[in-house]
Amino acid sequence: MLHDTRAGRLHRFARAASLEETWMKATAPAALVLAGIVFSMLSPYFATWRNVNGMLADAAIPVLLAVGMTFAVMLAGIDLSMAGTMALASVVFGLSYTAGWGLALSCLLSIGVGLVVGVVNGLFVGRVRIPDMIVTLGTMGLVQGIGLIVSRGIPVPVSDPVLQAVASSSLGPFRYNFLIVVLVVVVLHVMLTHMPVGTHLLSVGDNVEASKAMGLRVPRVKLIGYLVCGAMSGLAAVFMVLYVGSTQPATNTDYVMKAVAATVLGGTSLFGGRATIWGPALGAVLLTVVQTGLTMAGVEAFYEPAVVGVVVLAAASMMRGRR
Amino acid sequence: MPGSHAVEVVDLYKSFGNVEALRGVSLTVRPGEVTAIVGDNGAGKSTLIKCLSGYHAADGGRILLDGQEVRFGSPLDARRQGIETVYQDLALADELTVWQNIFLNRELTVGPRPLRLMRRRAMRTSAAQLVDSLAVSVPSVGKTVRRLSGGQRQAVAIARAVMWSSQLVIMDEPTAALGLRETAQVEDLIRRVVDQGTTVLVISHNFEQVMRLSQQVWVMRGGRVVSGHRTADVSGVELVAEVTGAREFS
Repeated sequence: MLHDTRAGRLHRFARAASLEETWMKATAPAALVLAGIVFSMLSPYFATWRNVNGMLADAAIPVLLAVGMTFAVMLAGIDLSMAGTMALASVVFGLSYTAGWGLALSCLLSIGVGLVVGVVNGLFVGRVRIPDMIVTLGTMGLVQGIGLIVSRGIPVPVSDPVLQAVASSSLGPFRYNFLIVVLVVVVLHVMLTHMPVGTHLLSVGDNVEASKAMGLRVPRVKLIGYLVCGAMSGLAAVFMVLYVGSTQPATNTDYVMKAVAATVLGGTSLFGGRATIWGPALGAVLLTVVQTGLTMAGVEAFYEPAVVGVVVLAAASMMRGRR
Repeated sequence: MPGSHAVEVVDLYKSFGNVEALRGVSLTVRPGEVTAIVGDNGAGKSTLIKCLSGYHAADGGRILLDGQEVRFGSPLDARRQGIETVYQDLALADELTVWQNIFLNRELTVGPRPLRLMRRRAMRTSAAQLVDSLAVSVPSVGKTVRRLSGGQRQAVAIARAVMWSSQLVIMDEPTAALGLRETAQVEDLIRRVVDQGTTVLVISHNFEQVMRLSQQVWVMRGGRVVSGHRTADVSGVELVAEVTGAREFS
């Protein structure tokens, strides 16, 4: 019967599509396992708990930036200003902390800087409707510049007992900074998959016209996405200060590329509308593991940006074939 | 006779700059029927339904629902008054699931406003019930819309509109992008929703479809309604003549 063959074809098509989806979702975890096995064979020190714990701590900033970046990419956008915002936020953190305003307020100010940049990005992308690439390139220059002007380019040492404890103490087997990052990832996951705003973000990223027709306020939804990006940049600045022990006025744009790479590795569609939070988080851990593993295997650190660049291009090309 | 019409449009005007898209359109839609609007490109059909669905605000004239005058500032206003629109380009988000599309921007939630959590299971269940009740052939409401065929997508869009409408479902060329078989399926679906009490206003280029589906047909030309008939009293050939204006010249 005609209907049966048709249903059969549909069924096969659906199965192939779901396999493909599983494959996209499995990329980061599978590659993580593979990298673990390979590097364990290359270096006996790699598979020790000390090293694993160290890698998880190292992954804190990349994970925060990756999950933030995911909120821009799910809107079919990008936030190039994240690393610059992180630098400026660390400078503001340093100013506040050295002025004696205390740790809590300094952290809030740092995140506040990120939120302000997020508002600017979100308004220009959503209301003024300038392409995200141009807007965030502009704000990247702006925040980078302000950070350098304000700080004269000089890092300010910050040694706070609480920050040091977060960086080095553990609760059970895990360091505090790793646990905080896990908490942030869980909160953003709930936001994306269990709150209406998450569906709205995906819908706007997928199809602006359809979203408008359903009465979604597109500029507002885009603003929310860029606010999350900004907040993650600001929070990452706090982690940078506790990680390095000082503010970092100079922008390291490698962080942006890494965040995009992790986002793509985590199965986020560069065309918007499809994203998870745990995927990019695992992607960022994977990149950190590869970086550490390569160093242990005696590969020079100079190779790292090239490796990340290849990952971005390869993952993006794979996605190109899907549309 | 107010109240006997689901929708009444009285002397509606709408201009875009120098272009007068609607020049005094009047028509009525009876409840529980399929009312069709036919007309050539540029006759003003799309502008009219965009006024009815809240996309455009009319420059003059009145829209009455159940005899009550209404004004729409946005599509959301129209939806709040029970008017749902099935757009030509479907208005579905491909990467979202069927149930997410059906509940888009009308999610069922628990908890206080800023921290509302979605009732995913409840939405899934009622989406599945909706799809079953309309006998729509969608594989599963948990599938992403991207995996559906053109007819299935249109069925989802129609099901969503029927679920949320209390007054009127507007359909803009509901089968324009579909093959013959899928067109027949969508027409069956439209008949079923009308049998269940939904009022439908349909724009179609397909005269045979208008004859098959509708009970009332209005002909638009040059921004006006030039005639209206009970579909049973008119032939497709006559409609074509009225749409092109051939009757006036012959």
